[in-house]
Amino acid sequence: MKISRRNFLKGSATTLFLAGFNFPVLANADKKKNLVIIMLRGGMDGLCAVPIIGDKNFEKRRKDLILDKTIKLNSDFALHPKLKNFHNLWQNNLGAIVHATNIPYTKRSHFDGQNLMETGGHIPYAIKTGWLGRGMKLAELKGDGLALALPMPLILRGIPSNDNFYPSKKRLPRTELLQLLKSIYTNKSEHDLANMMEIIANRSMMNNGGTSMSRKNSSLALKAGLELKKINGPRVAVFEVDGFDTHAAQGGVNGSHSDSLIEMDSIFKSLEKGLGSEIENTLVLTLTEFGRTIEQNGGRGTEHGYGSAIFMAGGLLKQSQVYSDWPGLKKKELFEGRDLNSTIDARSVYASAMSSVFDIDFKRIQKEVFWGDELINLSDKLFKS
Amino acid sequence: MKNFFRKVAFGLGPDDKTPSDPLKWATNQLNDIPEFSWKGKILPEKKLRNYYRDYVYGDREVLRKKFKNDKDGYKREKNKLRHATGQKFWWNLELCIRYSEALKSETPVLAKLWYFWGNHFAISEKDFLAQYTTGAYQREIIRANMNQNFEKMVQEATKGWSMIHHLDNEQNIGPKSQSAKWAREKGKKRGVNENHARELLELHTVSPNCGYSQEDVIQMAYIMSGWRPEWGKKRLETGDVHFDPNAHQPGSKIVLGKKYKSGRKGLSNAITDLVNHPSCIEFIAMKLCRYLITDNPTKEMMEPIIKAWEKSDGFLPEIHKAAIEVAFNYSDQYNKFQNPENWLLQMSKMADVDLIPSPAFMDLYKIGNKPIRDQRALEYLVDELGQHPYLAKQPNGWSDISEDWMSPELLIRRLVYAREAYYKKSGNSQTKEFYEEMIEKNYDNPGEILKIIGQHRELVHKHVILFNLPETLRS
Repeated sequence: MKISRRNFLKGSATTLFLAGFNFPVLANADKKKNLVIIMLRGGMDGLCAVPIIGDKNFEKRRKDLILDKTIKLNSDFALHPKLKNFHNLWQNNLGAIVHATNIPYTKRSHFDGQNLMETGGHIPYAIKTGWLGRGMKLAELKGDGLALALPMPLILRGIPSNDNFYPSKKRLPRTELLQLLKSIYTNKSEHDLANMMEIIANRSMMNNGGTSMSRKNSSLALKAGLELKKINGPRVAVFEVDGFDTHAAQGGVNGSHSDSLIEMDSIFKSLEKGLGSEIENTLVLTLTEFGRTIEQNGGRGTEHGYGSAIFMAGGLLKQSQVYSDWPGLKKKELFEGRDLNSTIDARSVYASAMSSVFDIDFKRIQKEVFWGDELINLSDKLFKS
Repeated sequence: MKNFFRKVAFGLGPDDKTPSDPLKWATNQLNDIPEFSWKGKILPEKKLRNYYRDYVYGDREVLRKKFKNDKDGYKREKNKLRHATGQKFWWNLELCIRYSEALKSETPVLAKLWYFWGNHFAISEKDFLAQYTTGAYQREIIRANMNQNFEKMVQEATKGWSMIHHLDNEQNIGPKSQSAKWAREKGKKRGVNENHARELLELHTVSPNCGYSQEDVIQMAYIMSGWRPEWGKKRLETGDVHFDPNAHQPGSKIVLGKKYKSGRKGLSNAITDLVNHPSCIEFIAMKLCRYLITDNPTKEMMEPIIKAWEKSDGFLPEIHKAAIEVAFNYSDQYNKFQNPENWLLQMSKMADVDLIPSPAFMDLYKIGNKPIRDQRALEYLVDELGQHPYLAKQPNGWSDISEDWMSPELLIRRLVYAREAYYKKSGNSQTKEFYEEMIEKNYDNPGEILKIIGQHRELVHKHVILFNLPETLRS
């Protein structure tokens, strides 16, 4: 069903969406630039992934969750030691982080938060399209392409002729049967059905001769990288990683939050491999509904919080950096006395990214994708023009 | 006209005789609520909720603490807990009960309307409600009230544990209530949660067409404040719903211009007024037409249903009969694109697909064990088709609009699972004659259909084409 909104905390269920084919002809021989969004569902703990260095408040409140052997990024921030692939990117100026950021949502419900991270709106369920879908529409991209998921994610809704695909484990009927149905639909003036049958019959990629293909994120990411690399391939891909909702046994280096971070890291790696040199023309950004509380709970996990971090990768980044207006971790500096605050509206980052990748004026995105909300153009600070 | 049997039910199976009076055949099914046709075990909601409690308590209060430094141990024990509380099994059993009503009962029309109401008062995907209690809620609160007034269904659904928990009303605390004061003394903020109040107005009764304001929503939330599960250290949020005066917002409230006194009676009184509001009656009439007849119901279609409502004071059997009669009258003019679940059931009924595991087989399940794969077949199937009835994505349930079900991927599913279903048929239904008879019985243009599927020799291909013809996809 097209209008549904999430694949919520379903263990290891993962998905990939590729879209944005049929981009306007690049008459002036511009580069084809790609945007990849990785949705981190469950609330990614920015302080676990990118801990602050030498903050007593932090160490005191999280004493059982402090990581050993973190990777130092700069004088203030370190990286989770399991994020090896991201660190490689960082060392090559292909990785950066925005810290203490979140969508403007503070109520701590997964359901509402995930809805808003995809719509980019303020009131849960009020908006029926996604910010990425609206941005793609503005860029005159079509959804016609491939989304490895059932159903179509909310974030991509809002562009015409959206298509979704999820590798079925069952065999499709043979082509002549599909063609017969298509001609029946056409004869009976069932044009929508006929168009869909046309798409189905012509679907070449991922059919794999009818055999099932892996639904693992790392293999999907490799496939996505290879497709994004093609000049006539998709320009947008969306992944999902679940399992960030670690109320218990979040643990240190080998805890459950690490498992999800490692999965995210494997996407970076496979994408880079699939893209090859086209990583230079690609931007990868993560997205989550909220961060987690600073304080650990009784189960050595964390509760739903507010501010988190955004991981960014690819050659369209200006440089390796942790970009932040750090709010501090003293009690009074925390949001409602418990969460890392958000000082950057995450939508400013996404709007700037779309502006850079789709070559659309930031103000237009601000106005037509985000209803003229007060967002800041960070393109010059974060991305290559 | 034969289309009517598929429009209001799931078509005619090989053992069904074509009723001489189709309308009567359909409306006769709507007076009483018969026993379930499922002959295996059926658990009460309360018992299933206790399993849910055991799971929530075991995870949150025991395992998370015990395995705080051992994520592998935590995962392992949590998995055991899932099986100890039947998490992978119950919803499969519920699907058996649900689909038996469509395929094996004498009242498939009632079943089709049951699915409508279950979706109207949807419990959408939240926590593990689907795995434990949503099916039972649809049995005990929705179906059991289908021979009652609409008001009774609203009263019970609204104050039922499933809906209260699903829509967060336990967090709806009057800001001036005693509980809020106590919380403030401890430095905590407590206040109104509008979620349930908003959905009661928007989705369950009057709909936005009635023109309520944000203030009405807040006032409604005040009226609902205090309706929450009775909290207990062991049962956590799974206790029976009661009215907690300490959490109730004091003072009178005004919704849609009408004043309600403070206290537990406020909610019942407000519901009485909501269900009698013209917008509510119109909204439900429109939704029934949209479900059965067309995406865009006309005033003329809705009118007889509204009249039946007014005449019977909202008595559901009369409302249902009126809706079915309208569907009958428009049967030849309109075809409705069927959602995946109704499509699956039609195919299973008409082509005699062995969809539901036997009661004896399901009853082999022992709590604590992992269910065997075939006991979970229905859960996988409906999920793959894109419409698990207990996993609607939002409180507004699964869509009734054709367009939402028309995507290449969902069409692929129908192609693929039509083929799968063919191989779940008994041998004696895998004959050309069987199909000829079935098509003759269920379609208004049998000659044309036989000609189309005649283009393929193999029976399995005929089957796949038949169930993906526009005549089948739309009924």
